[in-house]
Amino acid sequence: MRARTVVVLLLAALLIVLAACSDKKEEVNSGKSSTDVSKSGFPIVEEPITLAMFAKQSPSTSDNWNGLFIWKEYEKMTNIHVVWEQIPNASLQERRNLALASGSLPDAFFTAEIPTSDILKYGQQGTFIRLNELIDEYAPNLKKILDENPDIRKGITFPDGNIYTLPTIYSPEFLAVRANPFLWINQDWLEKLQMELPETTEEFYQYLKAVQKTDLNGNGKNDEIPYGSPGMDLFVSQLQGSFGLGNKGPQHPFIDADPDHDQLRFFPISDKYKEMLQYIHKLYSEKLIEQSIYSIEWNQYLANDAERLYGSTVYWTTPDTFGPDRSVVTPPLAGPHGDRIYRSAFSAIAKIGNFAITNKNQHPAETIRWADYFYSDEGARFQYMGIEGVTFERTPEGGYKYLDELLDSPEGKYAGVSEYLYWNGQSPPGVVKQEYFGGSEASPESLAATEKIKPYLAEEIWSEFTYTADESRKLMALATDIEKYVNEMQAKFITGEISFTEWDKYLDTLNKMGLDEYMEIKKAAYERYKAN
Amino acid sequence: MQSVKKRFTGSWQLYIFLIPALVYFVIIHYIPMYGVQIAFKEFFATQGIWGSPWVGFDHFNRFFNSYYLGRLLKNTVILNLYQLALFPLPILFALSLNELRNGAWKKWAQTLTYAPHFISTVVVVGMIVAFLDPRTGLVNIMIGASGGEPVQFMQSPGWFRHIFVWSGVWQQLGWSSIIYIAALAGVNPELHDVAKVDGATILQRIRHINIPAILPAIIVLLILNFGSFMSIGFEKVLLMQNELNASTSDVIQTFVYQSGLLEGQYSYAASIGLFDSVINVVLIVTMNQVARKVSENSLW
Amino acid sequence: MKYTLSDRSFTAINQTFIVVLVAVITYPLIFITSASMSDPFAVSSGKMWIWPVDITFEGFARVFADDAIWLGYRNTIFYTIVGTCLHLFVLLPCAYALSRKELMAKTFIVWLILFTMLFNGGLIPTYLLIKSLGMLDTMWAIVIPNVAGAWSIIVARTFFRQNIPDEIVEASKIDGASDFHVFFKIVIPLSAPIIAVMALFHAVGLWNQYFSALIYLSDRNLYPLQLVLRKILIINEISPGGTMGAGEADSIVQQVRTASLIKYAVMIVSALPLLVVYPFLQRFFVKGVLIGSVKE
Repeated sequence: MRARTVVVLLLAALLIVLAACSDKKEEVNSGKSSTDVSKSGFPIVEEPITLAMFAKQSPSTSDNWNGLFIWKEYEKMTNIHVVWEQIPNASLQERRNLALASGSLPDAFFTAEIPTSDILKYGQQGTFIRLNELIDEYAPNLKKILDENPDIRKGITFPDGNIYTLPTIYSPEFLAVRANPFLWINQDWLEKLQMELPETTEEFYQYLKAVQKTDLNGNGKNDEIPYGSPGMDLFVSQLQGSFGLGNKGPQHPFIDADPDHDQLRFFPISDKYKEMLQYIHKLYSEKLIEQSIYSIEWNQYLANDAERLYGSTVYWTTPDTFGPDRSVVTPPLAGPHGDRIYRSAFSAIAKIGNFAITNKNQHPAETIRWADYFYSDEGARFQYMGIEGVTFERTPEGGYKYLDELLDSPEGKYAGVSEYLYWNGQSPPGVVKQEYFGGSEASPESLAATEKIKPYLAEEIWSEFTYTADESRKLMALATDIEKYVNEMQAKFITGEISFTEWDKYLDTLNKMGLDEYMEIKKAAYERYKAN
Repeated sequence: MQSVKKRFTGSWQLYIFLIPALVYFVIIHYIPMYGVQIAFKEFFATQGIWGSPWVGFDHFNRFFNSYYLGRLLKNTVILNLYQLALFPLPILFALSLNELRNGAWKKWAQTLTYAPHFISTVVVVGMIVAFLDPRTGLVNIMIGASGGEPVQFMQSPGWFRHIFVWSGVWQQLGWSSIIYIAALAGVNPELHDVAKVDGATILQRIRHINIPAILPAIIVLLILNFGSFMSIGFEKVLLMQNELNASTSDVIQTFVYQSGLLEGQYSYAASIGLFDSVINVVLIVTMNQVARKVSENSLW
Repeated sequence: MKYTLSDRSFTAINQTFIVVLVAVITYPLIFITSASMSDPFAVSSGKMWIWPVDITFEGFARVFADDAIWLGYRNTIFYTIVGTCLHLFVLLPCAYALSRKELMAKTFIVWLILFTMLFNGGLIPTYLLIKSLGMLDTMWAIVIPNVAGAWSIIVARTFFRQNIPDEIVEASKIDGASDFHVFFKIVIPLSAPIIAVMALFHAVGLWNQYFSALIYLSDRNLYPLQLVLRKILIINEISPGGTMGAGEADSIVQQVRTASLIKYAVMIVSALPLLVVYPFLQRFFVKGVLIGSVKE
């Protein structure tokens, strides 16, 4: 055969195969609810059913959910067999998209971290089904929580009035898990310097200066670092409250409410923000802040801390690093205008995209019931502590703790737990309650720390806003540039690379980037949030 | 001129040789090629690529209107040109190595120099950060010992390019030279014998025998290099990037990754990828033309 | 044969240059080897610079304790061998054919191939294709995509053009040999260097492969080494930002500790086999393999 003919035939074959391989349209399944779903109690169904679920696999959870103790127990209780497909963190986004694109949808997405804009996108497409009625009828525990906390219901309802996903909720009483990280100061050093715990930004500055000149860790070198943390954003985040910024919570890193004008504010352009940057700049230029803070790696930071180099830091309450033996939590510092807010507490909705039911699911009612258990007190205990006698025991004080053999694993405290339970690193749908939470956020140190900052808690914490598809698209395009610019300029002002005389130019550039339009969208979303 | 038919029958077997490769390319690469259109659409996973709605040049406009466009282009291009300028290094190294007498030392030298290629990017960057640490890093300790102030290498835009490129040389020099070493193996030793008898020095022999012998390989590799010009090893940049060195470290790929990460912007990323590909095509075609005019070697 | 002054000085400079270069390049290798045996805290705090400090083999112990590692080794070796054989099978005939003047439509075919290097349909269409070919969750999904690249074909073609003298080919054809015969009996034996290089490049690529596995494989028994190592190492950037979930702070500290401990051991475990293989391939890079046969 002639070469040309061969090539032509190949091209023809290509076209034929191309046509055959084009994606088929999604067949929309109307969710049928079977009539033999029990409305409460276990088992959930008479005849066993199987559900396929897609889940994220965080590094700290077991990679064998299909054989995991707690899931097997749950199957016995519910009569629902779940086939887990676990996707390692690294490829989560791609695999999720592929699952959606390839038509081989699971029955539900569990801990798959679906971005808010995707929830709306695929919800409107019908891929994720509307859950409002299902919740009312088959999710009594969740319904109770939503009824008692309209804020939470608001937070998971999209502008089209639909609820497409079930949230991960931090119990409102469990402040410690929502409020993190904290500002820690080295107590020994304070005592040696004979100083009081700093209450204002000015006093903190004095403390830092004092540390700088000493050899408080007694190693013969003046290598003390007055302040260090794995990244500058931790420090900025804490300090915002001292200048009245970010007063609606950390889920809005650029927006809060302007107290003077009672309206939505993009605070990185406010004067108080400028003051804050000037304060931090002072600290940085006098070398009171670790100079490599923008590039330091975690292991270096932890090593520095282990060598007792830091006079203060901002960090979570992990007992391994900042134990109570030498560091003390500092309540928010009072800024020059007297602002003193702890704003790093999350709203009760920790995650919004961790449970969705797809239109391929033949048993949506059963699935909702399956997930609803985790919103009950019993279910929260089940999810986080497991089964009494097997994974946990009661303490004499009436508390709950994991059995010693679980905690004894050489891989670290939670590795043993992960051989039985799945919650580690996953943020599953359900409620996180203090009594049942085995992570360090529930440790006595953490609780004590939380008590200290409680008086200064921001009054109102906003959960994430939801946007319409149109708003979403526009916002993404604007946000990419605007937020990036703010972050970079912040670093440059702080390190002194750009002087504050350029402040007006900075404001100007933001305006040119479409800040007005960005704020319009945020305002519209806020109005809806307020109204709902 | 032979007729086409005659030419074919004389060498029909050669066409059989092509079949496995062509089948592979057509099936694995050309069938999915329809995915390129996603750059002009708004991707809805459940509608698939064919079903997703057209948005024309929206994504491209968004990219071209970005405040950061200039910087991204500049950084991407400069970083690539810098790397390209160091293109001759593996060649020189191969020529140099070639002059060693065969033996254990030569083998060792080769193995040791290509070993860094196997070290993963994460570990390489980890080492870079450790060596350049202002307090405990070897480099700064030496600077301090000679009376200087520690330098914040990783946070300085001015240093980023040099660190990035030269650490790349360290990692890839030995590996990249392998192909030239293989090419040099094809040089006829008789030519060298003859030249030695004529009294040529080593340098002269290298210049007049070795280099011309591997020149076709050099040219081809150089042109192919342009085919991937706009794509930089982005994992390494991402790991080395921070707010302070962003003015030189922000490149197209990392920008796409970050904005893609925000909200799964598959089509936006695809459109920028397409833009890169187009530039690569222009470059490779141009360079091929240049090569044709200047030498007898070219890709086509 | 007498060496001139110019030659002697060149040799001296050359030797020095190579020694210095090797030393500079090798130092970090020593660092890694020592770090894999040292206490991670010593490494992070800058106490370890060249020789191991606080020797511990816990890193290696951890890595090898995981059964999955052995499975990963087995899988990767298998994929590498199969993949490289397939690669050569696809690459060599094609590159040779393209190097022959008598082939028609050469430019068209070269462009067809080059185009795939420049433009790509993207992850999703490719995934769908792999799925419809039934290769999902099988070894073929690892071995077939990228079995041959435009780059290798073009470079190999250049080699064939350069190093296979027309005279030999013409001579054998006149003697009645077919193209098949020429290719297998003459060209291949003469092309040891390029075959070795292409095999090496492809083998290394397959050995380090993890992304395809990440996307196409769900069955843990098929996981290649790199994927297993990445899971242990948790290579991803840890950037908590402000949105850490409950328990995540603890898990991060744990991860960082584990990662510090074993990342150097992991490096050595995954790279060593390849480093050991290269010296065996070097014998193919010997000069003059071609030359003997051209005489007639």
